[in-house]
Amino acid sequence: MVHNDYKEMIPAHALSALDAADERVLNEHLAECAECRRDLSEWERTAANLALSAKPMEPSPQLREKLLTQIRSEKTGIVRAEKSVSERSASNVIPLGRPSRNLWHSLGSLGSIAAIILFAALLVSVFMLWQQNRELRRENEFFQLINAPGSRVAELSGTSEATGASAKLAYDKTGRAYLIANGLPRAPEGKEYQLWYIVDNKPLPGKTFAPDHSGRGALNDQVPEAARGSATFAVTLEPAGGVRSPTGAIYLRGEL
Amino acid sequence: MKAIAAQDEAALAQLYDAYRVILFGLLMRILNNREEAEDVLQEVFLQVWRRAADFDENRGRPFTWLVTLARSRGIDRLRSLAARERVAIAGTRQESEAVSDAASDAFRSEQRGLVTNALAQLPDEQKRPLMLAYFDGLTQTEIAARLGAPLGTVKTRMRTGTMKLRELLAGKGESFGF
Repeated sequence: MVHNDYKEMIPAHALSALDAADERVLNEHLAECAECRRDLSEWERTAANLALSAKPMEPSPQLREKLLTQIRSEKTGIVRAEKSVSERSASNVIPLGRPSRNLWHSLGSLGSIAAIILFAALLVSVFMLWQQNRELRRENEFFQLINAPGSRVAELSGTSEATGASAKLAYDKTGRAYLIANGLPRAPEGKEYQLWYIVDNKPLPGKTFAPDHSGRGALNDQVPEAARGSATFAVTLEPAGGVRSPTGAIYLRGEL
Repeated sequence: MKAIAAQDEAALAQLYDAYRVILFGLLMRILNNREEAEDVLQEVFLQVWRRAADFDENRGRPFTWLVTLARSRGIDRLRSLAARERVAIAGTRQESEAVSDAASDAFRSEQRGLVTNALAQLPDEQKRPLMLAYFDGLTQTEIAARLGAPLGTVKTRMRTGTMKLRELLAGKGESFGF
């Protein structure tokens, strides 16, 4: 295929109207061709104009408040998390970080040292219990799905990007799905892993997740009906929040 | 967008006020269901809130980004609804109450007029594939089947239609403010 063949496909790509095979070859070309990427941006601007041919309509006034309430709660969640981290580090780090000559004065007695050690041990235990609880919840959810009537389980293996990684995807007949992944490298800043359902070579986007420090990750999702009978499942590394068409390397792959 | 990326709630509210009517109209056209359209509209602005830092002003203006995001989410929802419930939304569209032009500002009305005029100048055989792709999320093969036309013909008509649309809107970019 020559350069002009790709250029001719771009307007249809901007309307996401390309068939899966064409889309795949064009995406491969776009990854290497800056000129065509610029062209695509131009065509996307043209395509966006079509939105203006729809009648403008007013959503319900409650939606604005609902949206703002949700972002406020997310914001508060972040502030609380940051505050709790800073408070925790303050209680742990400041006393121990002081020069040793002041330490004995500030601690007063061996009893205080024991109390601090006990407190630190308690924090570690609480953290470990929280982790175990999270693992148990994940496993419980996974086993519930496996035991549901008509459920299916797909095993995904690590590709050359993550040879030690593996995952299991369980879903029931309604498409309710749960993925547990192990051994994934930590996602870089601004990136997350995204699940894909590939039907007839067309990738349908799933949700994203970020593994913890031990490489374990999990997510709830809904398998599209087209993918429930037979499909290939893949996990790629993508910009955080996910994308509509895969752009990153495949880390896990498997099929039913 | 920079203010939103810095978690400025008022900036998000301002963006919502500026684009809600266009985006909701677009989602209603795709989904033809208020509840679903409102749900997707909320998702879109939440995504904007979480990912405003990803917005690259060199790649386009907020209008293009927002519309592309809303349309993509709307089509995803349409497909998942159709797959889940086998809802044949296309062909059973109900007329929904549109806001009067007074509700959107005059500037946007002018932009709409330009796009509507440009589309009116396209022959139906070129316009229909574009609309089926854009609002119904159909691929070229699906459009060919829907219209009973050969795939090659559909590809040619789409290409000609989009090129003509671009020509008709060319030079109006500044007034569009995109």
